[in-house]
Amino acid sequence: MKIVVIVRQTPDTEAKIKVASSGNSIDIEGIKWIVSPYDEFAIEEAIKIKEKLGTGEVILITMGPARCVEALRTGLAMGADSAIHIKDESFAFTDPYAIAKVIGQEIRGLGGFDLILTGKKMIDEETGQVGIHVAEDLGISHIAIVTKVELSSDKKKVTCQKEIEGGQVVAEVPLPALLTCEKGLNEPRYASLPGIMKAKKKPVKEVTPDNINVETLGLTKEALGQAGARFKVTKLEVPQVQRKLKVIKEAEVPEAAKELVKLLREEAKVI
Amino acid sequence: MSNEIWVVADLTIDGKVRKATFEGLSEARRKLAVKLGGQLCGVLLGSGVSGLASELGKYGAEKVYVIDNELLKDYTPEGYSIALSELIKKHEPHIVITGNTSIGQDYFPRVAARVGAGLTLDAIDLDLTDDKRLKVRRYMYSAKSIATVEFLDHKPMMTTIRPNVFKPEEASKNPEVINESIDIKPERILTKTVEVKRKESTRPELTEADRIVSGGRGMASGDNFYLIFDLADAIGAAAGASRAAVDSGFVPYEMQVGQTGKVVSPTLYIAIAISGSVQHYAGMGSSRVIVAINKDQDAPIFQKCDYGIVADLFQLVPALTEEFKKLLAQQ
Ligand SMILES: Cc1cc2nc3c(=O)[nH]c(=O)nc-3n(C[C@H](O)[C@H](O)[C@H](O)COP(=O)(O)OP(=O)(O)OC[C@H]3O[C@@H](n4cnc5c(N)ncnc54)[C@H](O)[C@@H]3O)c2cc1C
Ligand SMILES: Cc1cc2nc3c(=O)[nH]c(=O)nc-3n(C[C@H](O)[C@H](O)[C@H](O)COP(=O)(O)OP(=O)(O)OC[C@H]3O[C@@H](n4cnc5c(N)ncnc54)[C@H](O)[C@@H]3O)c2cc1C
Repeated sequence: MKIVVIVRQTPDTEAKIKVASSGNSIDIEGIKWIVSPYDEFAIEEAIKIKEKLGTGEVILITMGPARCVEALRTGLAMGADSAIHIKDESFAFTDPYAIAKVIGQEIRGLGGFDLILTGKKMIDEETGQVGIHVAEDLGISHIAIVTKVELSSDKKKVTCQKEIEGGQVVAEVPLPALLTCEKGLNEPRYASLPGIMKAKKKPVKEVTPDNINVETLGLTKEALGQAGARFKVTKLEVPQVQRKLKVIKEAEVPEAAKELVKLLREEAKVI
Repeated sequence: MSNEIWVVADLTIDGKVRKATFEGLSEARRKLAVKLGGQLCGVLLGSGVSGLASELGKYGAEKVYVIDNELLKDYTPEGYSIALSELIKKHEPHIVITGNTSIGQDYFPRVAARVGAGLTLDAIDLDLTDDKRLKVRRYMYSAKSIATVEFLDHKPMMTTIRPNVFKPEEASKNPEVINESIDIKPERILTKTVEVKRKESTRPELTEADRIVSGGRGMASGDNFYLIFDLADAIGAAAGASRAAVDSGFVPYEMQVGQTGKVVSPTLYIAIAISGSVQHYAGMGSSRVIVAINKDQDAPIFQKCDYGIVADLFQLVPALTEEFKKLLAQQ
């Protein structure tokens, strides 16, 4: 069983976001980078499937600047076997559609695969499209936002549970397929010290823009980067919500409750 | 290329039109239709859905395209993608919108890829540039920033909208109904829906709720959550929780609000025994009015709320529920 995990490096959730002087992207100075949390569920699930079957291969793939190799090393230390790094600084601002095409091309180059796992969305830009675009590009089925994954015994099908508004759905698709992972699917493991040591020796293949045959992807050279994107960010702002900050302290409980209800009715007009 | 703006209806498991559809129609009418000089249209995909056209008309759709097909009875990414992308290729609308629901997020990327459209997800603001390109605003970096995203010249321009952000507003129209038959080959639908389980709940869904009451780690146990449910029921609210409350096993994950939970934007959000972490705020920071109840006057949430009470929840919440009941009984 060959399992591909698409991972992405994102700013730490605690990171303080500052707008860069360009006005349309973030200032990455001093930011701590992590593996996007939903992608950790994807890595964990891939390793679990391999462990359960007692055989198989887990390949990580990412696209982004040099720093992203750290995210790959984290996944390798958790237990993945090898990684592919599509590496270039100019990839910033490539739109999700083009990213998926490039990732799709690398996956095709693997000579077959059974399952692709990724996070339900990245926690930074949160456009939430890359995974499904990859499935579309490869012409395979997908199930998004899964909280339970079950492989059929003949390894030809996968059955997943997903949460939807007002309920739960169980769906089944034939392999190869792509799944996007939701919290609750599993508890990602921490890399062990031996795992970290071993990860250093695991192969990471680098792919540079020269290796990418844009024409066969139906893209132009410009499609990789802002010039070819279908949209652009013209402005990035840190939201300035003015909150009223009216805090009732040291009041007796019944009075505090009365006061709050009065404020919600008469001042905020929400009750 | 036509000048039509399409809002594709989002349906519940029970086949009702979701509020997000009415919100999309209303905002598209207010912000896009006039500026574009285009016609506002609804789109219905499903089986036995023709009867819903008049509901879309009630919120301003002048025309409704209907694809009524047995193969669209259960949602599948293949069926919906084929239906909508063929319809788009035939009529070439200018803009296509749907709600950012589990279904909208699921097939819109596939449709966009098929028709060569640009797509943004979860817009909180819709607008047009002077040369009629779509311009949306959306959160990035877990609600810590808002990006203005302009579409370049790819058409159509597609976006999903965050539920509960735009105001639904009736604008009675008697829509022209256009039945379209799109040939969907059954063998192209590979996804099989094995089971659909309905959640039995009398409370509204978190992502659509106008009011939400959430409990945090300070609730101390799952049993104590009855305090949250009682308050929620008194004011017709949905019930939510922080991740700490979920991870402690008090309540299920589906109630989690935050960066790795549900993103909500109610009119009123009451956070009880929740400290106000950045990750929790990422999920509820766009609420119109935030109320915090916490026994620690230095809790960070008091720096991010509109109203707060420093008190022990076990004493305050029952009193608050009573006050709300008293007030609402007077009406
Ligand atoms: C509005 C906007 C602003 C942008 N700003 C920037 C910016 O400031 N800096 C910058 O570098 N890029 C920027 N980009 C480009 C951005 O990197 C891609 O649009 C982004 O990767 C799209 O991913 P997504 O949010 O759709 O991923 P999602 O679909 O949310 O992610 C799903 C999964 O896809 C995988 N995935 C996503 N992207 C990659 C990737 N590159 N490599 C491997 N796996 C991936 C991850 O596993 C992830 O969990 C911007 C794009 C847009 C549309
Ligand atoms: C990658 C990542 C993703 C995350 N995603 C989310 C997410 O989606 N949602 C989320 O909520 N968190 C998320 N978190 C966790 C987040 O960092 C916080 O740990 C969490 O929000 C804390 O929950 P809390 O406020 O309930 O608990 P605490 O921070 O422990 O706060 C409990 C509060 O209850 C108060 N309290 C205790 N007893 C009483 C009482 N009797 N009466 C009144 N007040 C009382 C205390 O004063 C305290 O302020 C995430 C973290 C990470 C790293």
